[in-house]
This record gives sequence, structure tokens and C-alpha cells, in this order.
Amino acid sequence: MMGAQPQERLLVALAEQLKLPLLQIARSAELAQLEGAEQLSTGTLQIAQSALQLIDSFLLGTATEQGSLALEPVSLSALVTDTAHELSPFAKQYGCDIRVSLGGRYGPVMAHRKSLQAALSTLAYSFIGATDDENLGKADIVLGVHKSSHGMVAGVFAKDSGLSSDLFKRAKALYGTAIQPLSRTNSTSSAGVFIADSLLQNMAATLRVAHHKKMTGLATTLLPSQQMRLGGL
Amino acid sequence: MHIVVVEPDVVLGAVYRKALTLAGHTVSLASHAQQAVMVMDEKRPDLIVMELQLRQHGGVEFLYEVRSYPEWSTIPVLVHSVIPSYRFSNLAALEQLNVVKYLYKPQTTLRQLCEAISSTRHPSIV
Repeated sequence: MMGAQPQERLLVALAEQLKLPLLQIARSAELAQLEGAEQLSTGTLQIAQSALQLIDSFLLGTATEQGSLALEPVSLSALVTDTAHELSPFAKQYGCDIRVSLGGRYGPVMAHRKSLQAALSTLAYSFIGATDDENLGKADIVLGVHKSSHGMVAGVFAKDSGLSSDLFKRAKALYGTAIQPLSRTNSTSSAGVFIADSLLQNMAATLRVAHHKKMTGLATTLLPSQQMRLGGL
Repeated sequence: MHIVVVEPDVVLGAVYRKALTLAGHTVSLASHAQQAVMVMDEKRPDLIVMELQLRQHGGVEFLYEVRSYPEWSTIPVLVHSVIPSYRFSNLAALEQLNVVKYLYKPQTTLRQLCEAISSTRHPSIV
């Protein structure tokens, strides 16, 4: 945030302020659950919690500068499994299943754990929120990991996601000015996608359109950690 | 367990009081540091659950005051704050002040808070 523009400082202040009403909603809903009003409060709790996660990811992205994060060895399989577990209750609200798809056994990659997890979470929230009503009860959102010639690819994928590299490139040029920069795939501002992009840039990685087992999605490529080369890569 | 909850927001304070009462604790609520000292004077708590971002005196200042009284010097403190630990610049002070746990409020459910409170009988980390 040091040296941030006035507009960005205002956004950070707004994000910090928005935490409070969302927190009030989330905890009040959870209390109602504890008191027996389960059906009414579960959705409210998950939705407020997803908004808090989005705000936290945004704030995490603004707290550091592009390419400045210290990287550490991170186990992708553990990270995507944890993330899927956290997202599962929210996905249920949209009739989605969150699946983990690992294309093998891999060693750790170099990443900033907190930022990578926040990026995958906000991406997945964005994919879940864009689930087509007609697909309710059928949609699968996949947190996938596979190997490529450049490193390990980790991202969020779905069948018929409607994404293409051109579309994503145009959306990146439009965000902040267009109301729906990814209008072919998402009816909202798709803030989660651009927040994920910013988080990844802070660890010198990029978000791009990628394919995983006949699905399309958004993913990043990470370099394997040289620390523990026990086989595999 | 008797718990003093230092929570500046009235709505959240009421929710935490109710949840902790449901979990079998007695709760005294304070919305700022001065009120917390007064509440603790009335009845010594077994645990303090506190926000760091308070009106007037900040959370760390409050903790220094609490630790300066011999009768309160060993009360376990659980920080439950809207400030994520990676953004809090004075973690070392919290360690010195015997904070047994740091919970980030937006990502801590009521259930997790209750579990953390139970585990303060066997404190582990800051």
C-alpha cells in the first residue's frame, strides 16, 4: 500500500469497512444455526463468508507489491485439497460439486502459500457464482493440478466454461471500466478473477486460460521447488 | 469459565456473548479498554477474548495495563481481531504479553472460537 494512489487507498478503506457488516451477517447466521434455524441461515452464512474471503484476498493483494513476495516450497496437492474442503459448503448453495483432480504425484512448488490459496479460492468462488441455473445440481468445478513443460499448472476448471485466451485478454484490458468484463461467462464484475490475477502477480506468476482433462479454466504455472527432488519432476 | 469479551461492535458483541453462553461459559462484555478494566475489577475472568482495534486505548496498550497488575498477570488472553496477523506489526509484543492465540475474526467461526477457548487450558502458540 505504500505509495498507493488515493483511489486505491479509498478502496482499501472501503474493503476494511465492509468486513464489519459481512462479519455481523455471517456470525448472526451462524448463531441462528446453533439455535436451530439451520435451513434459513446456512446459505446466508456461506454467502457472507465468501464475500469476506473476496475482501481478504483483495486486501492481501494490496498489502504487497508486484513480484515482491518471498516464495517457499508449497505442496500443491495439500493446498488444493484444503481449498476444496473450505469451498464445499458454499458450492452446495449453488448446486455445485467441488472436485480435486491431481494428474499424478508431485513434489512441492515455489509459491507464496497464503497468496496462492487466496487466488485459487477467489477464482473458485467466481466460477461457482457463475454456475448456470440450468445446470444446478450437475455442475462440477474442478481444482486441478497437472505437469507441463514449463512447470506445475494449478487452477480452477469447468466444462463449458466459455473461456478463451482472447476473451481473457480483452477482459483484462476492460476491467475497472466495463461493468461485465467477462460478460460471456459471468454476469458480475468478475472481481475474484482479477484479484486472483493480482495476487499471482505479487508472487511473479501469471494467470492464464488453460486446459485440464477436457475442461477449460484459469490457471497459473509454478516452478518446482529444487529443495526436495525425491523423484517425479 | 468466566470470559471477558472486549468487542467494540455492539452487534458482534451480542452474538459472541450468546454463542459463548450457549457453550456453557459466563460472559462479561466490554466495548473498550476502560470498560474492560472496570468489568474485570468486578469479577476476575478466567480468560480474556479481545479485539486489538479498539476506540481510545488500543488493544496492546490495554494488555500492557492488564499485565501490570499482579492479580491479572497470568490471565490467558486470546486475540480475536479483524486485523490479520500478517498485517499486525507488533506480534513480538503480543508474545511478551502472553497472548495464547491469535485468531483472525473474519475467518474464525463461532464453533472455532469455542474450540480455541477450550484449548486455552493447554495453550500452545501466538
